Amino acid sequence: MQTMSRTDASPRHRYWSNLVSATGFVGSIVVTLFGLLVLTFVIGRMMPVDPVLAIVGDEASQATYDRVYARLGLDQPLYVQFFRFVSDVLRGDFGVALVSGRPVVEDIIRVFPATIELGTISIILGAGLGIPLGVLAAVRRNKLPDYLVRFLSLLAYSTPTFWFGLMGLLLFYAYLGWSGGTGRVEVYYSGLVSPITGFLLIDSILVGEWDVFWSALRNIWLPATVLGLNSMAYIARMTRSFMIDQLGQEYVVTARIKGLSQRQVIWRHAFRNIRVQLVTIVALAYGGLLEGAVLIETVFSWPGFGGYLTSNLMMGDMNAVMACTLLVGVLFIALNILSDILYRVFDPRTRAA
Amino acid sequence: MRNTLLAALTAIALSSTSMAAMAATPADQLVVGLSMSNILTLDPAAIAGRESTAVITNIYDTPVQLDAVERANVNPGLAESWEISEDGTTITLNFRQGATFASGNPVTVEDAIWSWKRILELELVGSATWQSYGFSLENFDDHVRAEGNSIIVTMPQAGDPLLILYMFGKPSAASVIDSATALQHEVDGDKAAAWLTTNTAGSGPFVLRNWTANDTIILDRNDAYWGGPAAMKRVLMRHMPESQTKRLMLERGDLDVGLALSVPDISALSSNGDVEVQSISSSGFYFLAVNMKDGRFANQETRLALRYLIDYQGINDTIMPNYGVLHQRPVSPGVLGSMENPGYTLDVEKAKEHLAAAGYADGFAVKLLSLNEPPFIDIATSVQSTLAQAGIQAEIITGTGNQVYGPMRERTFEMIVGRGGGGQEPHPHSNMQALVINPDNSDDAGLSGLIGWRTSFYNEDLNNLALSALVERDPAAQEQMYEDVQLMYEELVPALQPISAVVDTVVFRSDVEGYQEHYGWTTRYHHIEKSR
Repeated sequence: MQTMSRTDASPRHRYWSNLVSATGFVGSIVVTLFGLLVLTFVIGRMMPVDPVLAIVGDEASQATYDRVYARLGLDQPLYVQFFRFVSDVLRGDFGVALVSGRPVVEDIIRVFPATIELGTISIILGAGLGIPLGVLAAVRRNKLPDYLVRFLSLLAYSTPTFWFGLMGLLLFYAYLGWSGGTGRVEVYYSGLVSPITGFLLIDSILVGEWDVFWSALRNIWLPATVLGLNSMAYIARMTRSFMIDQLGQEYVVTARIKGLSQRQVIWRHAFRNIRVQLVTIVALAYGGLLEGAVLIETVFSWPGFGGYLTSNLMMGDMNAVMACTLLVGVLFIALNILSDILYRVFDPRTRAA
Repeated sequence: MRNTLLAALTAIALSSTSMAAMAATPADQLVVGLSMSNILTLDPAAIAGRESTAVITNIYDTPVQLDAVERANVNPGLAESWEISEDGTTITLNFRQGATFASGNPVTVEDAIWSWKRILELELVGSATWQSYGFSLENFDDHVRAEGNSIIVTMPQAGDPLLILYMFGKPSAASVIDSATALQHEVDGDKAAAWLTTNTAGSGPFVLRNWTANDTIILDRNDAYWGGPAAMKRVLMRHMPESQTKRLMLERGDLDVGLALSVPDISALSSNGDVEVQSISSSGFYFLAVNMKDGRFANQETRLALRYLIDYQGINDTIMPNYGVLHQRPVSPGVLGSMENPGYTLDVEKAKEHLAAAGYADGFAVKLLSLNEPPFIDIATSVQSTLAQAGIQAEIITGTGNQVYGPMRERTFEMIVGRGGGGQEPHPHSNMQALVINPDNSDDAGLSGLIGWRTSFYNEDLNNLALSALVERDPAAQEQMYEDVQLMYEELVPALQPISAVVDTVVFRSDVEGYQEHYGWTTRYHHIEKSR
């Protein structure tokens, strides 16, 4: 069928079908994001959180309360508030955040790189360790390495990350002194490097502040490892089950009969076929990390996106919450597109479709 | 490849060990760990919480400073002296010469008046207190004027001038802003409200260098400070919401001062010789309150029963260490008129008699609101169990600040474990205003800032007695009157029963000298030194 449709399609027809599918694609993104906004707004308004009290304190007089209430636009009907928000967003204005008194966009530009930096190192650790461990467990199924990997990944996956974080701090920071304390750098290096890319490890090298670089490295490895452990556990377990599935397939048996080495069978044949699934798993895990690891950010006082989103949510600051939700939505869509592209690279069948 | 990896790991390990050796804060910088979640603005007219007050105190000056230890003492600030007229209606503040703002502009009485009026104009947090003493935007110019280097204030309504003097030591009510600098950043007549949210223009011992919300606040020393430069070159405040993190960093010496640690962490640190634990009696009370709009609690007998259904001793012995100390009356310990506790104890039999008299011999079901954090939730649990002994079935409903105090502000709650009750000024009226006085009990009055109104507790005679105590000029007579107010309050059986007076506990490294936590949250870093 595929061959038929490809040979029948004229360039003009293909142009139109591409246009229609592109429009559909963009349309679906817009609808998704809009749906996300509506949902966030409704949930935000249903939450029994009062942003005014957060600002004025609970002993403020009614007059002060009313004034701030009106200043935040909360005296307007809900639909007016929503459409005002959407129209501001379309102009690129997400308003001012209660927490910082600064434009939300500025805040996100500040906190998001901290999370990307942490999340990226974590996912490199998580995937870099998780995939080989998963493959090892599958190949040595029901033998000691498999039991070990399964035990460790179960342990890492089921133990709360904040507990690992606190224990890590206790061991590597308080007792051994191998890791820095909390925050992105030791506190007396704060503010020495102005953001260029926002990634402190890179910025400190760019301006030649090596003390800050080493401090940032000392501070990031522990939270990144703790977060990475969690992704590692997940990725290892998924890799193991994908690999077991592939290793039982007939083509693997055929390859073995043909006399290929164990290494070739595993990596050239079986592993090649799970790459597509792995891409999805890793992309989703990465997305989860970028969305913010609130508990780890709290334990390590990491000034990242998760903490920002949560504190705004607690405060009932819908400007910031909606901007963050939108960003998370865009992020997942972007990661989906990225994994679609990687599918095409890894799986020739999808290229033909 | 393997060698490269090994080399890199060794490099990191080496750098780690060499850095570990210098894990101590610099001798000329003070590193403070606190939760910054409630620091939403640095505008003195808009600050509400204790953390923002602590920051503002060190950036802005007030005309006077309230002594951190001797509560009745007032120390000079920007005003080097002051006089209160014989009849108690006029206060004159004489400003010091030579004080300058961080910008270099001289501090003038005009700046002080501009800053004060600005609070009333913006109608933000600080305005409510001034309004309660009769100052309004309309009458301001009639009652406040500059004369040479002095500000002359006449009181718009009868009251105790000392109380007004204390207000001049509160950062949210009397911080002096550099009006020339602020006005350069005014937008659409906003009195620089937008600019001052994230920028500062003060004359205090420190200058804001950088504020990154929920991350860091960096204050640099103001070398031109009128009181002489501070010993610390810089104060670094780091957002640390997690108590155990603060504890670890204090133990390691990476943190000089830790605020608001959890009680288990404070207890663990109190045996550590490298740190010092400082507990001070702060402002406000932990209390159990009911809503008198609810028919059951409008009945005095029911309220009397509740008085005997709280395990005061048990709560204070087991739950409250480092949070609060036993206190059962509505005037803060240590201020004028403060009395011995009346000695209420848990007495279930007595409570049952009063419940029967109220017509609730079999008890009733009630919803008990509490913040979902210690010590509130622990107090609520204790109260729940003692109420049950008299047949009152309390269902504890927990939530965040808004969820718990919201229904109280709207007078829709039934019962609550809360904290509050004034006391940031060392004057009993501060407590009276928050807890006892309720000028108008109608729903329309909307006096949601007053706990008296929130609990719908109203007694005209009590109001009058408290207000006449305020205007009494003879200190001995005034003290007697405040005692009478408390006895009358007790007799009327209020809707709110104090259980403990709030205690603030701070932990700092032993080499930090001169740290004195302030009951009004105005802790000053100017005199802090490190003995190294």
